[in-house]
Amino acid sequence: MGVTVHIPGPLRAFTDGRSEVTLSAPAATVRDALDLLGSLYPGIRDRILTEQGALREHINIFVGNEDVRYTGGLATPLPAAAVITIVPAISGGAHKQE
Amino acid sequence: MDERAPLIGKNLDHYRILAQIGQGGMGVVYRAHDEVLDRDVAVKVLATGAGQTLGRDHLLREAQAASSLTHPNICTIYQVGKSGDEFYIVMELVDGQPLTALVGAAGLPFEVLARYGVQIADALAHAHDKGTLHRDLKGTNIFVTREGRVKILDFGLATRVGSDLLSEVTRSYAALSTSLVGTLPYMAPELLRGEAASQLSDIWALGVTLYQAACASLPFPGKTGFEISSAILHQAPAPLPASVPPGLAGVILRCLAKEPAQRFQRASEVRSGLETLQGATLTGRETQQPEHRGPLRMVLRGIEHHAVRDGDVLLLVGTTKGAFLLRSTRDRKRWDVAGPYFHGHGVNAMAYDDREGRHRLWLASNSVLWGTFLRSSDDFGKSWTNPAEASIKFPAETGAVLKNIWQISLGGPPQPDVLYCGVEPAALFESRDAGESWSLVRGLFDHPHRPRWMPSNGGLILHTVVPDPGAAGTGRMYVAISAGGVYSSDDGLKSWTARNRGVRVTFMPEKYPEFGQCVHKIALHPARPERLFLQNHWGIYRSDDAGESWRDIANGVPSDFGFPVVIHPHDPDCVFVLPVESDEFRCTPEGHLRVYRTRNAGESWEPMSRGLPQKRAYETVLRDALTADELDPAGLYFGTRSGALYGSRDEGRSWTRILEGLPAIVCVKIAVVRQPRPPRRAPRPARAAAKRSARTQARRRK
Repeated sequence: MGVTVHIPGPLRAFTDGRSEVTLSAPAATVRDALDLLGSLYPGIRDRILTEQGALREHINIFVGNEDVRYTGGLATPLPAAAVITIVPAISGGAHKQE
Repeated sequence: MDERAPLIGKNLDHYRILAQIGQGGMGVVYRAHDEVLDRDVAVKVLATGAGQTLGRDHLLREAQAASSLTHPNICTIYQVGKSGDEFYIVMELVDGQPLTALVGAAGLPFEVLARYGVQIADALAHAHDKGTLHRDLKGTNIFVTREGRVKILDFGLATRVGSDLLSEVTRSYAALSTSLVGTLPYMAPELLRGEAASQLSDIWALGVTLYQAACASLPFPGKTGFEISSAILHQAPAPLPASVPPGLAGVILRCLAKEPAQRFQRASEVRSGLETLQGATLTGRETQQPEHRGPLRMVLRGIEHHAVRDGDVLLLVGTTKGAFLLRSTRDRKRWDVAGPYFHGHGVNAMAYDDREGRHRLWLASNSVLWGTFLRSSDDFGKSWTNPAEASIKFPAETGAVLKNIWQISLGGPPQPDVLYCGVEPAALFESRDAGESWSLVRGLFDHPHRPRWMPSNGGLILHTVVPDPGAAGTGRMYVAISAGGVYSSDDGLKSWTARNRGVRVTFMPEKYPEFGQCVHKIALHPARPERLFLQNHWGIYRSDDAGESWRDIANGVPSDFGFPVVIHPHDPDCVFVLPVESDEFRCTPEGHLRVYRTRNAGESWEPMSRGLPQKRAYETVLRDALTADELDPAGLYFGTRSGALYGSRDEGRSWTRILEGLPAIVCVKIAVVRQPRPPRRAPRPARAAAKRSARTQARRRK
């Protein structure tokens, strides 16, 4: 099955208002999924990744209930029918302790 | 009420009375049909009974006063008539509900309240400008239509300020044994003391109305008239619930200052105050195709945008929490405020590009979450580009990541499509196609000094770009980096040379190194392109040889530490700085907020403080937060870290506070809007220049 991505409010301007996007093409890792999402909906990539391809400091990506920062970052492999959630840090500093 | 029922179904002249819809101060209000114009109207018929004569006179005055008011938020008076014994007023039928009916148990949501409040204040400002007071403003006199438009009804107790009518009405009401005009919970303390109504008592009533709409209770509650009056006169307003945003609470409480002089002095100030609080909702425009390439546009909703006219002056104010646009006519007396644009985003750089017939605002928005984006608006802020891809990016091989854009600069006159951005980490970006595409200036990025530049307090940033001013210029362009120093290029950005000889570095073992200076700002006047002024991290400097060498000119300023330096637009010898005490205590010395001016290129400096706070004003003005317009006399503007914006229309001789309560102000830029079409009358540059020159001479002689 495809990968489902939950889109936070501020990024829905780039997904025609969709709060949830299903990727039909296969994605082996989080990075693959984000690349796919970015090509479907330009505008998202540069807002969650820096120009060097790293996750922005205060953006968190969850696969299921796991924060990918603790599971291999963007290289985290995706299970079948994965659910990805893009979560902007609430305090703007949730990962400062890293 | 029943006694009026016989009117229903009958005609007053050509108005067929359909139903009673209300009962106001001096009369009963009916829905009626205008059989001539075939439209429904409201007809207010004077009540019979005691005081009828007085009431009639008053009714007529009400109509006279209100009919002079034409405003989208004031119920329009169509006609005054008499049919038999019935006096009546015909007015716009407002299809809506009173504000009080819309306020739920918890008060109106903030955005809604701000939207209504702006309209109410605007209507009041209009009436006051026409010399008309409302005198009985309250939630039940304010209707909101289905479209969300506010209509103020019942200027029923209004009277023209300054005319004989004032005393008449007062007498009339005294005779009616109702010695007070108005509704008690909304009455200002000075009215209770028997003073005359004024614009300021209307502003008080506006404050009570907003308070009530914000939290569904009155600021001065009481069970009896005595308790209410006593609270109005002697007690502080009941605390607003925490759910009311502090900015809104501030506006409301300022309307409710017991001392009239401490209130907002004009309804337009209340409007401005509310406008600045209005949040913007970012909404992507609907797109037809599921895939869209190229820059998207976004419309900022919830903001009343400026209608900008030829000759208007715009102040572009970037703050740590969004941008504000202030508009004024050329007299620069009164400023309308729009914003915040990109609320919650830091706006560290703004610019206005009016070359080649453009009217383009530029802005760099920085979100802690989503990164930094360069955006432009060709309609004075109504819509902005929302680029799918960031236009300013470090190439992959540099490994660098853009943190902030601190400066947006236009290329000189020979390069009308060139733009520059100075960014953090320190680098220069250039666009040769009016901002469509950008590239990193490698000549500077690959400079051998770069690895040894050191971040300053604000980061390692390239904050100033001074382009070659063109034909009269030296062909040299400058940038300033904190802390790297001044660099210049003579060959179209390819190679760069440090230009810091004579600029002292207090914090390094070597006091006069080739580079590494923490320069805060540099400025150049196109009429003297070989000369530059520099505000350093300690030290104010001038170079007379295109940056080859510098000498200290801080002769007599209270501190030579500061951030901005601005040259008078028409006088290259006249320069303004805004010193702060020290690098330890970056606030204006001794709590005096003063601009310092030299009129002899730094040989001597004089403070300019008229209108600026001189007591406990511990302010900081950042490097891009002081600017001048090019009008004559020139206007000067600056914004502070504490969110106050000051302006001078007379080149700094006197100042007024334009606005306060903004987020920390980072940059203040100016745009004088000129239509691209040729002026009707041929300009007379020779004469204008002669006049200017004469003025400059006169000033020098002073």
